[in-house]
Amino acid sequence: MALKAAGPAQATAAKPGGVGMEPVVGSLTAGKKNREYKVTNRLLEGKRPLYAICFNLIDSRFHNVFASAGCNRVTVYQCLTEGGAVAVLHAFIDEDKEEEFYTVSWAVGDNGSPLLACSGSNGVIRIVDCGKGSFLKSFIGHGDSVNELRTQTLKPCLIASASKDESVRLWNVNTGVCILIFAGAGGHRNEVLSVDFHPSDILKIASCGMDNTIKIWSLKEFWSYVEMSFTWSEIPSKFPTKYVQFPLFNALVHSNYVDCTRWLGDFILSKSVDNEIVLWEPLYKEPGITANEGKVDVLQKYPVPDCDIWFIKFSCDFHFNTLIIGNRDGKVLVWEAQTSPPTLIAKLSHSQCKSPIRQTATSYDGSTILCCCEDGCIWRWDLVS
Amino acid sequence: MASSAAFTTDAAASTSGEAPPSREAGGNMEGLENMYVKVASTLAKLKKQVQADRQVHVKKRVESNREQLKRYTEELVKLNNRAKECSKGQEPEGLESLCLHNERLLGNLSNTDESGDKDGKSGLDESNVEKLVPIIFGSCLAGKTAVRPVKLPKVENVPPYTTWIYLDRNQRMTEDQSVVGRRRIYYDSDGNETLIASDSEEEDAGDDDDKEHVKHDFTKGEDSIIWMTIQELGLSPILLEELAHLIDIKQEDVEAPFKELTVEADVDDHHKSQVGVVLPAALEDDQTQPKDLVAAMDSFDNLFCRRCLVFDCRLHGCSQAIVHPSERQQPWSNREYGDPVVCSEHCCHLQSQSSDSGRNSAPTDAPVGLKDSKRKQGLSKSSEEQQDLSSSQKEDGDVLDCEHKRSRTSGGEIIPSSDRQGAVESMSTETVDSLQNTTRTVSTFKQVDLSQKLEKLLGATRKTGLHQPRKTVTQGEGNNSDKVEGGSVLEAEGTEPIFLNVPASLSMHREEKTLKNSDAMGKAKVEVGKNWTMLEMGLYKKGVQIFGKNSCLIAKNLLKGFKTCAEVAQYTLEQETMEGGSDGGRHSSTDYGKGMQDIDAENRARIYGGRRKGRVRKLKYTWKSVVHPLIRKRMANGKDQPCRQYTPCSCLFTCGRQCPCLLNGTCCEKYCGCSKSCKNRFRGCHCAKSQCCSRQCPCFAAGRECDPDVCRNCWVGCGDGTLGGPPARGDSYDCHNMKLMLKQQQRVLLGRSDVAGWGAFLKNPVGKHEYLGEYTGELISHREADKRGKIYDRENSSFLFNLNDQYVLDACRKGDKLKFANHSPNPNCHAKVIMVSGDHRVGIFAKERIGAGEEIFYDYRYEADRAPVWAKKQDDPNQKVQDMPSTSGRARKLPEGKPL
Repeated sequence: MALKAAGPAQATAAKPGGVGMEPVVGSLTAGKKNREYKVTNRLLEGKRPLYAICFNLIDSRFHNVFASAGCNRVTVYQCLTEGGAVAVLHAFIDEDKEEEFYTVSWAVGDNGSPLLACSGSNGVIRIVDCGKGSFLKSFIGHGDSVNELRTQTLKPCLIASASKDESVRLWNVNTGVCILIFAGAGGHRNEVLSVDFHPSDILKIASCGMDNTIKIWSLKEFWSYVEMSFTWSEIPSKFPTKYVQFPLFNALVHSNYVDCTRWLGDFILSKSVDNEIVLWEPLYKEPGITANEGKVDVLQKYPVPDCDIWFIKFSCDFHFNTLIIGNRDGKVLVWEAQTSPPTLIAKLSHSQCKSPIRQTATSYDGSTILCCCEDGCIWRWDLVS
Repeated sequence: MASSAAFTTDAAASTSGEAPPSREAGGNMEGLENMYVKVASTLAKLKKQVQADRQVHVKKRVESNREQLKRYTEELVKLNNRAKECSKGQEPEGLESLCLHNERLLGNLSNTDESGDKDGKSGLDESNVEKLVPIIFGSCLAGKTAVRPVKLPKVENVPPYTTWIYLDRNQRMTEDQSVVGRRRIYYDSDGNETLIASDSEEEDAGDDDDKEHVKHDFTKGEDSIIWMTIQELGLSPILLEELAHLIDIKQEDVEAPFKELTVEADVDDHHKSQVGVVLPAALEDDQTQPKDLVAAMDSFDNLFCRRCLVFDCRLHGCSQAIVHPSERQQPWSNREYGDPVVCSEHCCHLQSQSSDSGRNSAPTDAPVGLKDSKRKQGLSKSSEEQQDLSSSQKEDGDVLDCEHKRSRTSGGEIIPSSDRQGAVESMSTETVDSLQNTTRTVSTFKQVDLSQKLEKLLGATRKTGLHQPRKTVTQGEGNNSDKVEGGSVLEAEGTEPIFLNVPASLSMHREEKTLKNSDAMGKAKVEVGKNWTMLEMGLYKKGVQIFGKNSCLIAKNLLKGFKTCAEVAQYTLEQETMEGGSDGGRHSSTDYGKGMQDIDAENRARIYGGRRKGRVRKLKYTWKSVVHPLIRKRMANGKDQPCRQYTPCSCLFTCGRQCPCLLNGTCCEKYCGCSKSCKNRFRGCHCAKSQCCSRQCPCFAAGRECDPDVCRNCWVGCGDGTLGGPPARGDSYDCHNMKLMLKQQQRVLLGRSDVAGWGAFLKNPVGKHEYLGEYTGELISHREADKRGKIYDRENSSFLFNLNDQYVLDACRKGDKLKFANHSPNPNCHAKVIMVSGDHRVGIFAKERIGAGEEIFYDYRYEADRAPVWAKKQDDPNQKVQDMPSTSGRARKLPEGKPL
């Protein structure tokens, strides 16, 4: 994926907040609360880049299971506690050699079995059953590649997909229907790069993309369709898929591609190519079609040096305490996410890890960090107790 | 605060002249410098404090968010654990058993102290980190748990497309959809180059500048800094300069929030703050008074599209220029159908039978009776309220007539009536003049407000004129009216604008109070006669426009629950009486209707003060048969020119040389203000048997669809006729030239094209020349289209279609299935821009017989120098492999047929 290897962009600084509205910026010179991590394992999947890595945090039985995606392959591993051992559980390979998976996300099937949703350049979303180790189904509909998949933790059969076709779609993994399409008059104007479900408010989704905006969508008026999807028994294409054309909120926080966004409670963490992660609060007014650009209060900034290329994604642990991101040079920064001012817990680097880290995965309690790299490596870091 | 301290003596020198004289103790630079230091230190202190406050605030917000999130995650953990408990008894299977197996295995391995690099399992110690463990797929290792990859069967995805929204009719682009002035960043597929989709950096910079000029939004912190420093140090140029520097805005902008803050701080202290602040509040009083119907209808007028008959039209937009048709439909009336039907128990027909004679004779019997004149006063007052200047001026005469009559009848008055009359007459005209002056000079007022005031004032002067005798006789309460007189005379005398400027606002206030008094008086008088509110009177007028003077229908449809039929009838009678009394019965009832129209139109003109007036000098029109020669001319040599966007003109009756339609080169349509006899109108066709599907039909030849409102024999029935459609005209030959309007289109299917990407296919077979469907999309300007074209060309898929001289259709994000019809040099269809009810639309028509399930192709007709490679003609000698640098634009589809 040559596109994602793109270099630094002309970054113009985001608008300053004005006196009395300055964000609190975390310091890179680490404080006292330093934690120590060390490399415990290193895996090589192949020569081609790995774009996604993800712990299964939605099913407590499999908190130590993770999946990686890259090339035409998705691999499921288990993190063993002893000596940083990692076991391969399954590998899924697309027969289409052209396919390049960009994203992977865990879901739960109707019988409680752990499912894995993955998608990439082809735009087809694949659902595989990790319990049985078998292929389940494909979702066709996106007009172009899918950049990210995320699962609703409260309803783990719902997944959202962010695509190059400028839409975000909501799917039901079990009944196989496309419930909603978030696109249209108020939708994204370029590729959607990232999407995330609100952790507690099931009616909210945030998405961001190459049009530099972050949009918050509301499912409120469309919840009946989501309900309908749970019991849909006819063929999926008959489902009355609805378009959601207008977001609840539209934020212009960055001045370049926004490639990762995650809810932190009611706040949002997002990053562009400006060497920082930004924590901001959407200041909602009464929603409406004319609500063109919402006001935001930028609360905090987490500097990440040498992180000025796009398609680098960060991750949090289950409790959202640690915020972990890799950079262009293969270094990893571990931030305390919910302190003010933000404190840097650790800065991880290894002499042999030089390639850009596309995504990190943080285990349930934050004690294990996984990084997948452009050069096809997976690095495992463990907390030294 | 390094920045604010970094002033130079240079800067100090430049501001020394502006420094307040009181502070120039020594008059030297030193004092000034001290000032600067003081200001700077105060500011630094305050800024630090504000920033500290901010940090505390952020900390609090983050903390509270953390608490909330913690509660939620704990809840989730509990939920998970419960699920785990439930499944505890069950035998672990699938992945779970696999995991357990691995753990057991690892336990064994570590017991035997073997490093687990077999089976893709590996443990790395600090020492052997350098050892890279390759994961091997597909190979069966000697171990027990070798990973055999699961194959995902190949699935072909749909052809690429951008998510789009279905449109069944064209939409005009809204502002937020524009790409003009927005940066779009691209990454070259090879790597590092950043490309921005705008012509030049300058343009970007210009746009940025525009944004910066937008009023600065002051944060709370900034507000408090400004407030506190000015409180502490007093308002001085140095301080403002430093503040502006601190907040990074212009100096004059700093003062604004301070003033606002001042106003906020002492709300009660109106007198101290500036007049400019007080005045709007005073004006608001005026606005809270009940509006009349015209004002209340304003927003509806604004939102309603008279061409599509919908509110909030996506095609023509809101706030369209309102065109008042010169010809109105005759009021609908059922009077000619024999005996009147009694509508209710309060029907006027019931009452008129009992008191017929008395009422009918009233206007002739007692023309100067006191009761009657009272009624007249009430009426004249009510109409004054609603009519604009010119009409009320005209009525001045009426009122004065009454005065004449009354003064004659009531005989011995204290004040000689002729003098009074003269005074009133001169005064009112002068008032009008002077107040018109005021309108021009006092720019702070909205024109509408002022004209309303003006009317009231006029009404008041007239009223006082009328009521004066009565008041003096009964109560001797002439003070109020004297004041009004004084006020207005004062203004009448004032010819200097400066003089008018200030006192006008003051006297207005005073007058308003007095007006209210006299208003109340007037109302009390009206109540003697009847209790008609402004709204009811407005509704009545509308009713007359719609139904004529049919009190049954007016009462039933517009005044239900307000007024009974009998009351309406009485009101009508009184109106007529007044008209008859004042104009000597010159007005017939139709004339009256027209009068009402004019009044209505003028009322609107008043409301839409800023809008273009539909008045055009009437010229003797001798330019014979202007339309047809022009049509012919354009048909002959206008082929290569884009067609012109039609905008309705608001000419009255006939269009002159200045008619916007004529100047623009379009025909007048049914939406224009001019009458049907306008020479520039397109008159439609008279086709019958030919069914309007050949060039013999003038509509067809002109690239227009027939219009049942315009053409003689083209009409549309409603349903099966049970609803009572229009009577059949002539023989029932169907017009075949209204398919876009009626949406009589073919079923189009979307599928994978045989050529490239998506394709549009026909479900059913069609004959030659058949209409297949419309190519819908967003209507965008040519400038916008150039910008978007750049983006689309990059993606090598463009859905732009040149519509006319103003608009390009873009079907990229919004459109219908026909947007996927592919290009072919030998197509089976063609695209044609057709004028349908004043709008240009694109229809796709079959060029030949097309079978069921066949793919639809048409020639995009890209201009040679703009066409992408795949659309270039094979035998084109200019053909080049690489894209030629186009000078002026991007590839856009062009129609084959064009309307005028």
